[in-house]
Amino acid sequence: MADMGLRLDSTNTCHNGAAAPQQGTSRVLIIIPCFNEEASVGGLLSEIAATGRGYHTLVVDDGSSDATSAVASCRSLVARLAQNLGIGGAVQTGIKYAARQDFDFCIQIDGDGQHDPRAIETLLEAYRRDPTNITIGSRFIDHAGFCSTRMRRAGIRLIVLALNGLFSGGRITDPTSGMRLLDRSAIAFFAKAYPTDFPEPISLAWAMRAGLTVSEVPVEMRARETGVSSIDGFKSASYMIRVLGYILLARLVRAS
Amino acid sequence: MTDALPSPETVVVISAFALIYMLMLLRKTLQGKFDLYDFLMLSMVAIIPAGFTLFPTLAYLVSHLTGVVFPFVVMFGALFLVVFAFMHNMTARLHRLERQNCALIQEQSLLVLELQAKQGRQGVES
Repeated sequence: MADMGLRLDSTNTCHNGAAAPQQGTSRVLIIIPCFNEEASVGGLLSEIAATGRGYHTLVVDDGSSDATSAVASCRSLVARLAQNLGIGGAVQTGIKYAARQDFDFCIQIDGDGQHDPRAIETLLEAYRRDPTNITIGSRFIDHAGFCSTRMRRAGIRLIVLALNGLFSGGRITDPTSGMRLLDRSAIAFFAKAYPTDFPEPISLAWAMRAGLTVSEVPVEMRARETGVSSIDGFKSASYMIRVLGYILLARLVRAS
Repeated sequence: MTDALPSPETVVVISAFALIYMLMLLRKTLQGKFDLYDFLMLSMVAIIPAGFTLFPTLAYLVSHLTGVVFPFVVMFGALFLVVFAFMHNMTARLHRLERQNCALIQEQSLLVLELQAKQGRQGVES
């Protein structure tokens, strides 16, 4: 893929440990974790290419049994995991790749088509304005687009209360968003350790415990194009209890 | 309360079970299926009942000391403790293996990418 790079102008002073963007070309890696997403990943990669920004993309095929790898490899680098590791293991594979290949930023977006690739630029713009280690694309700032069920939103509010109440380092409205930008510090941090269970909210708890900063930017999300969510019905309650437990545990464990 | 001693038949049955079970464990350990820790923990299933049967006086002493009326309740308590300790250790080992397995799968996929990149560069150069 052609490296057109991305120009970031130095506009803000560095604060909260995040590196201020330097004048020049920054390398951005888009990490797309996929599990049986043959129907949507091709379209997503086309949409990313259509932005004309020349982002590097890495599809992490999390042990799919369908043609996800074959579809994705026509347009992107593909890391094939021999076994299904879950979303946490897949995302960390991409983060490790970003760390080893010396990328300045990595941006995670879901392979199911929920995230509009045009929002990638919104995340980078937000980082330019206010550099924080993690920038989340939040559904709940503007409440635009698909916002999931009422029950799920209530659950997310509980997680938000726990994260904002127990940690400092940023006000969060959408801790379960799978669209997020990581800068070099966050890449280095998560390349070493990344949660395998319920990674989105728990990774935020770990990051804030370690002193990384988090900010959010409004993005519009779409309903998933294919497949169904793995967290439904009784699993939602179990998810909530376990996530809250992990967040509490993260608060109790000393930062290392 | 009179301390009831185990009958000779009980002693024979428990001792035979302990001996056969320990020999079986020893064989599997020598075959490399268990390590020494597994051998010791699993053999408690034979050692504890055998100890209570062969040394009834000691069994009653322990039950008096722990304030439990029946020695067999103490025996089950001891067995439960061993099982719990074994499970505790196995859970930690399993978790460590899970993490190592995850890291190994990640490394393998990243190495394939590196190899492809290297082959691509060599192809361009040649």
